[in-house]
Amino acid sequence: MNIADLITPQSVIANFRVSSKKQALQELAKKAAALVGQPEKLVFDVLSERERLGTTGVGLGIAIPHGKLPGLDRMTGLFARLDKPVDFEAIDNQPVDLVFLMLAPEDAGADHLKALARVSRLLRDRAVCAKLRGTDNADALYALLTDERTSDAA
Amino acid sequence: MEQAHQLVFIGSLLLLAGIVAGVLSSRVGAPLLLAFLALGMVAGVDGLGLHFTSTGSAYLIGSAALAIILFDGGLHTRRRVFKLALGPSVVLASVGVAITATIAGCAAVFLLHLGWTEGLLIGAIVSSTDAAAVFLLLHQRGREISQRVAATLETEAGFNDPFAVFLTTTLVTFASGHDGEPFAALMLHLAREAVLGAAIGIAGGMVLVQLVNRLTLAGGLQPILAMAAALCLFAGTQLIEGSGFLAVYLAGLIAGNSRLKSSQTILRFHEGMAWLSQLVLFIMLGLLVVPHHLLPQAPAALGVALVLILVARPLAVWICLTPFRFSVQERLFVAWVGLRGAVPIFLAMIPTLARLPHSETYFHVAFLVVLASLVLQGWTVAPAARWLRLEMPRDKHHGHRLDLEIAAAGSREISAYRVPLGAPALDRSFEQLPLPRRTRLIAVLRDGVVMNRAQLDRLQPNDVVLALTPPETTEVLDRMFAERAGPLADSVLGDFVLDPAVPMATFVDLYGLPATLGDRAKPVGTFLRQRIGRRPVIGDRVHLGLVDLIVRELDGDRITEIGVVLEPERDPLDGVSIRRRLKRLAGGARRAIRRRGVPVASRRPPSGDGA
Repeated sequence: MNIADLITPQSVIANFRVSSKKQALQELAKKAAALVGQPEKLVFDVLSERERLGTTGVGLGIAIPHGKLPGLDRMTGLFARLDKPVDFEAIDNQPVDLVFLMLAPEDAGADHLKALARVSRLLRDRAVCAKLRGTDNADALYALLTDERTSDAA
Repeated sequence: MEQAHQLVFIGSLLLLAGIVAGVLSSRVGAPLLLAFLALGMVAGVDGLGLHFTSTGSAYLIGSAALAIILFDGGLHTRRRVFKLALGPSVVLASVGVAITATIAGCAAVFLLHLGWTEGLLIGAIVSSTDAAAVFLLLHQRGREISQRVAATLETEAGFNDPFAVFLTTTLVTFASGHDGEPFAALMLHLAREAVLGAAIGIAGGMVLVQLVNRLTLAGGLQPILAMAAALCLFAGTQLIEGSGFLAVYLAGLIAGNSRLKSSQTILRFHEGMAWLSQLVLFIMLGLLVVPHHLLPQAPAALGVALVLILVARPLAVWICLTPFRFSVQERLFVAWVGLRGAVPIFLAMIPTLARLPHSETYFHVAFLVVLASLVLQGWTVAPAARWLRLEMPRDKHHGHRLDLEIAAAGSREISAYRVPLGAPALDRSFEQLPLPRRTRLIAVLRDGVVMNRAQLDRLQPNDVVLALTPPETTEVLDRMFAERAGPLADSVLGDFVLDPAVPMATFVDLYGLPATLGDRAKPVGTFLRQRIGRRPVIGDRVHLGLVDLIVRELDGDRITEIGVVLEPERDPLDGVSIRRRLKRLAGGARRAIRRRGVPVASRRPPSGDGA
């Protein structure tokens, strides 16, 4: 599974402005809803439902909120680089500024996990994160995220 | 008079050199104890020419040093650790030691052309392990290992010394010709040693606690009182033919887990004394040996060491730990790090003191076995832990705490913490901090200025907090003010976290994981607990379809946080994974060679494969 299969240049946001975890999820749900053509409320509910099981703030300023969305036909990702880090109730209590949102179809099965693993592995690379933080242009971010040379090292 | 000053001068110089050598050795990752031993050898007859040949005084110093090391080991063993490992470690220390001694003894009989009694005597001498050496090696690198394995090694080492001592003294009696005692009498003797040792140790430990708590002493005397009582218990028990080694270890355990006045000072002091004992013991043993006398026996002794490390110990561990449901990795690790420390060399002096013929053979063989074990196993402890996936990130940093004793505070102490980044205490407002009973935060200093409580809303990193607290709750405070490791950087404990109360059905449906109908009805925490099937420790994991569930946090025996590992590496022991590892190794070597051949400018930036 490649990152390029999950996101398009349209699903990368370079300067996302939010002030709380809830607002971040709401705004991301709005963007994602527009991408997949589903109601914003539904997407937000799916994401909040997942947060209730345990935070998706995986530490070091990264969050990977996700969930399964009925009626979706393919795995859809959305990447946002936050202008200012927000408190995301992350495992290490550090504020989050890189968010990779993932929505999976109802029947995704193992692909859902594989995609999450792929994203998690990419963002575990400190060098990649440093570059992402240092870039405020959506196209450049997209190029960084989908560059198989830098991201397929692990 | 001149000579006294010379002795003090040389002695202190050796200690200083030992400490410096220790620092240097940890730079290159060499086992610390090896450095001490080497220093003794360098200073000795074949090196700088220091003559030290008195086995009598070496035995005297050695006994006291071992007693202190064992007492300190007991003091630092927490009740939970002890409970976790009691069964396995007692079996390892008895049955395990017997198996190890027998197999290593047989090897000695054939390799050194000795009689059966003499051969088995060598087996007994080298049969006990040294956990202190293992933990030194791991802590030197800032790593922890899975608590179950750590607890087993630690407790085993406390218990197997007494049994090895018993075996050795019994065989020495045999070897010196007094073989009149029948088997039954021997068993009775062993039982007497164990029962007396245990009884005096437990009772003595309680008396020691009362003594320390009841007597009002000048601050500096408290730890001395504890140490004197411990040594008294040790020697007293030995005098009436009980096991003083067992007694002093148990007394330490009791004292370490009781409410003890100025416990921090006592613990610190004994930690220091245990270090001093290790230093003195190993430097002295290095001095005592005559390196060029070792050479003729080296090949045979190395043979014994290899049989001990590769056959005797693994077999003993396999037989002893299989009934306790230890995983293959856990057994392999325990088998590999059965490190030999000072005890075998110490025990090897007993034949000399008993004036047995060829007594120098025992000493030389024991010395070489310990040396081989320190080099071979000591150097590989950390990689072995990593390879077997028993390595845990270190999440507690006690370095931030400073304790102050005040005589007038009753049973409470003042502890000072510097609040690190990411401490749980930063999560809540100052008023809402969950403080244990009888604990008060008496002051908060920010940039050296005492903060006004009314204006203080929330703590900040680098604040200094002064807490008045009873010693038994310091662990709760330690946790509140501890640094938390970034889990992504150290993905050992999983990619995502999961609340243990979440129903299995919700979790498995979200990720398309398999679960039986019965399991679906349980909370994830219960499922994990049942699948682990024993007292859980942090890092315990179970497979579930494509993912692993892993214990991230515990409150006693209750699982409070679960990690989900998205791409679990296969067991290090299954075929696919070994092949993958070999391939990765080969790839790394190839890359390294290629890089060396390529001019610097054209190198690609290192791709983060170390992450």
